[in-house]
Amino acid sequence: MRVLRRLAKRGWNFVARRSDELRLREEAEEHIALATEANMRAGMAPEQARRRAVMQFGSMEAVRESYHAEKGLPVMEQLLQNFLFALRMMRKSPGFTILAALTLALGIGATATVFSLIQGVLLTPPPYQKPDQLVLVNSGRSDGQAMDSPRGWAAEQWLDWKKNARSLQGVAGYGWTFNFLVRNDGSQSMQGMEISKDYLHMMGLKTVAGRGFADSDFGQGPVKAILLGYEFWQKTFAGDPQIIGKTVRISRWTVSPTVIGIMEPGVRFLPSPEAAKEPNYDVNATVDFWSPAEPDPKGMKEPYWNVVVRLRDGATAQSAQQELSVLTGQEAHAEKSFEGFVPRLQLVTDEMNADGKQILLPLLGASALVLLIACGNVAALLLVRGLQRQQEYAIRIAMGMGRVALLRQVLMESLLLAAIGGAFGVGLAFGAIRLFKLISGHAIPRLDAVSAGWAVLGWGVAAAVLAAFVAGIAPAFRVLRLDPMDVLKSAGPKGSAGVGERRLLRGVAMLQTSLTLALLVGAGLLIRTMIKIAEAPSGYTTGHILTMSVTDVQDYSTWAQFHRHALERVAAIPGVQYAAFAWGVPLTGNNWPATLEIEGQPPAVKESDKTALPLRAVTPDYFKLMGIPLMDGRAFRETDDKNAAAVAIVNTAFAERFFPHGDVIGKKFWFGGRDKLATEIVGEIANGRTDDLTQQASPEIYLPLWQATAFSKHLVVRTAADPRAVVASVEHELRTVDPTAAVENVKTLDQIRDDSLASRIFAMRLLVGFSVVGSVLTLVGIYGVLSLSLASRRRELAIRSAIGAQRQHMRQLIFGEGLQMIGGGVLIGIVLAIVLSQVLKSFLYQVQPGDPITLAVVGALFVGVGLLACWAPARRAERVDPIEALRSE
Amino acid sequence: MLLLVSKRLKDMAQKADVQQGTLALMVLKTLEVLGSLHGYGIARRIEQISGDSLSVNQGTLYPLLLKLEQEGSIDSDWGASENNRRARYYRLTKAGRRQLQSEVQDWRQTTEIISRFLTVKTEDLS
Repeated sequence: MRVLRRLAKRGWNFVARRSDELRLREEAEEHIALATEANMRAGMAPEQARRRAVMQFGSMEAVRESYHAEKGLPVMEQLLQNFLFALRMMRKSPGFTILAALTLALGIGATATVFSLIQGVLLTPPPYQKPDQLVLVNSGRSDGQAMDSPRGWAAEQWLDWKKNARSLQGVAGYGWTFNFLVRNDGSQSMQGMEISKDYLHMMGLKTVAGRGFADSDFGQGPVKAILLGYEFWQKTFAGDPQIIGKTVRISRWTVSPTVIGIMEPGVRFLPSPEAAKEPNYDVNATVDFWSPAEPDPKGMKEPYWNVVVRLRDGATAQSAQQELSVLTGQEAHAEKSFEGFVPRLQLVTDEMNADGKQILLPLLGASALVLLIACGNVAALLLVRGLQRQQEYAIRIAMGMGRVALLRQVLMESLLLAAIGGAFGVGLAFGAIRLFKLISGHAIPRLDAVSAGWAVLGWGVAAAVLAAFVAGIAPAFRVLRLDPMDVLKSAGPKGSAGVGERRLLRGVAMLQTSLTLALLVGAGLLIRTMIKIAEAPSGYTTGHILTMSVTDVQDYSTWAQFHRHALERVAAIPGVQYAAFAWGVPLTGNNWPATLEIEGQPPAVKESDKTALPLRAVTPDYFKLMGIPLMDGRAFRETDDKNAAAVAIVNTAFAERFFPHGDVIGKKFWFGGRDKLATEIVGEIANGRTDDLTQQASPEIYLPLWQATAFSKHLVVRTAADPRAVVASVEHELRTVDPTAAVENVKTLDQIRDDSLASRIFAMRLLVGFSVVGSVLTLVGIYGVLSLSLASRRRELAIRSAIGAQRQHMRQLIFGEGLQMIGGGVLIGIVLAIVLSQVLKSFLYQVQPGDPITLAVVGALFVGVGLLACWAPARRAERVDPIEALRSE
Repeated sequence: MLLLVSKRLKDMAQKADVQQGTLALMVLKTLEVLGSLHGYGIARRIEQISGDSLSVNQGTLYPLLLKLEQEGSIDSDWGASENNRRARYYRLTKAGRRQLQSEVQDWRQTTEIISRFLTVKTEDLS
């Protein structure tokens, strides 16, 4: 109680700054006056009496100090004093302050950025209840090989699990659905999830308006009720609550469903390998709408469901895995078509974070490294300054400033530096986050959930405090060990940083050099890779080609009419050389994964024996448009439609794989079984790198679009001039044919090509960015270490100069030391670079990991730049005055 | 400069210094017995009672008086001193009296325990 009262009084005094100086002075005066009188009464002369009284009273300063210590909050006052003093010192040497602050800003900014990204992407939990219990059930082959084509589970199977699996408290099925919201001014794509009865309840999802699905919403027949996703509702209907209860038109749905509710925000998709081939597949996007799905009694054995389960409290994923494997085995005994596939369980949270972790964890390591290096540099700079201020410190210690107080002062200075650097760093972080959102595309998932807000500030502050301590430790300890006698006896700035310290800092500088070199080599390798990819023969034209996804949302009866008319009109636009519809444009990843049996191959016993190949569908002018030559047979004709025999065109890779000795023309293949109708191969085209520019062509099959009527496809247009010039005309023509047609994703083939290389481009930009940051830090580091060395060796240099060394010689001394550091760093750096390039191997194309040319060029460049950093200290070295050698002692 | 430092060291080693805790007890007792007193008077009285074997460091006394006042054990007010000058007089408060009583009790207890230890003989412990 008493303590609290005292603390409160102290706080009040500090805040109100009441100076009872007056009171103390008066009391002291009074005390001395009374003592003087007592002394006079004892017989002393007045002056002597007073002097005696004063001496007995003791040092006024000491009294005042103890008095003061009782009064306010001495700690706070001292900190304030330290702070103001540090501020003055910073203002006196602005160059140093800016250099140190910016260095710290780089480190703090990098760390704050990555922490915020990690917080937004990896640590923000999904909106499900207890997400750690949710497990995806993927399908894998029992023989352990990779799946050729994606496959789900049959309703019969997962309903069996629901009944019999004891380690699970819930089983739900889902699928993706790709549709269009039909509107009269151009329809819009919307992606949704079809979910089984228990899905919403099991995942723990709730609606924010309207109601969720009731059991009556599930049944056979057309879907009558849907839920809208929150973000879609905001974007498309401007958050209008009146939409609940109204119907919307959805493409290919005979009945317009009613919107019965709005889902809570932030709900994203669960993955589906089957759906992954669709153009609008983005597992990190928010779900646009939800539709109820009930297993079809006629299709209970069709494996098209994706399954997610919830573990019982206390059950582990391993126990669930075992149980489900057993159940699947039993099911396969009863039903042949289930044979050959086993469940593979994966935690939902693991799956969500897999992509993000790949990029963000290494980024975290890199930014931590950057922060450490920045602190190391600033420590070196602070040490140099400390050496220059030794006299000042010595005098303070001698005059009675406690070492602890001095330590506090030094730490306050580094804290202030860190605060300034932190302020800049947080600004940098805001910009960096915005940059990331711009350039990283799909490399980092769920970036839209990252907002540069208070989190960045918080992380910046934490990083700044950490930086202050790490950077300030070494200079602070030096101050503690300072012996004022030694410093004051020699009247010059003598003393040096300990050999240990200098060696440590030189090591840090060498480390920085090697790391930066490795980063530069990595960046160089990627740049060369991009150049090589640009030169790679793709097998088709990429210039002057415009693409857009065109979808007819009316019902199927108008499909042929719409597409033929549209193609006619677009082909007639002036400036258009060719026009075609295609499903499977290169580098989009679009195709239909199919399993088939090919003539001449052994008949399949199990489903997993069939050959799996991607199918594409194109109109007759397609190959001419893409500049892909016909090697054998004929091209598609307009008459290859639904009424004619099924035909296909394959590429040379297909022919070489399945018909190496002989003609592929005339051969057949079957979908669904050899007893069904066969498709005849009528043409063979040249190979083209359709899937991946860096890989050889794989076997491809093309079907005529007029036969294999596709819902999603691209309109591909080749122009004489700039393809973007015809965009407006093409859209106009399409709207004239059908105003509700959905025309989206307008891109040139060049843009699609760049998108396919997105991850490489992103990696290259990251490396370039980090190399630049690393180079700046390394230059500062080399400069700092050499300055420290110079400050420590002043006497030696002065002596050398006094006994006749030329200025050139002095310069060489410093350059020599710098070269040693840089050389050592470069050597280690080359080793690191080779390691790094092994890590990058999957990104490289036609560039060897240990490519000597890149290593040599980067190495030489770096040595040159490093020598630049040595220049300033070297100049200072040659200007050391020989008088300094004579001055002391 | 060096001279200053060494002189302080010498001064501090002179008479027995009074610890703050016991000084508080002495101040409160003095005020209880003698009523209200100013700082100089308190210092002189303590030295007197101790038979001049204690030296009260003003650097300790005045901060202590402030601390006691902040805790509420004593109260201060301006008054006229012997030679008609303005001086600050301190007196005990009710809370101060209670604190004094409890501290005296603690002190007596401590002394009793210590004296038992000091008079124990080997025969008593068996």
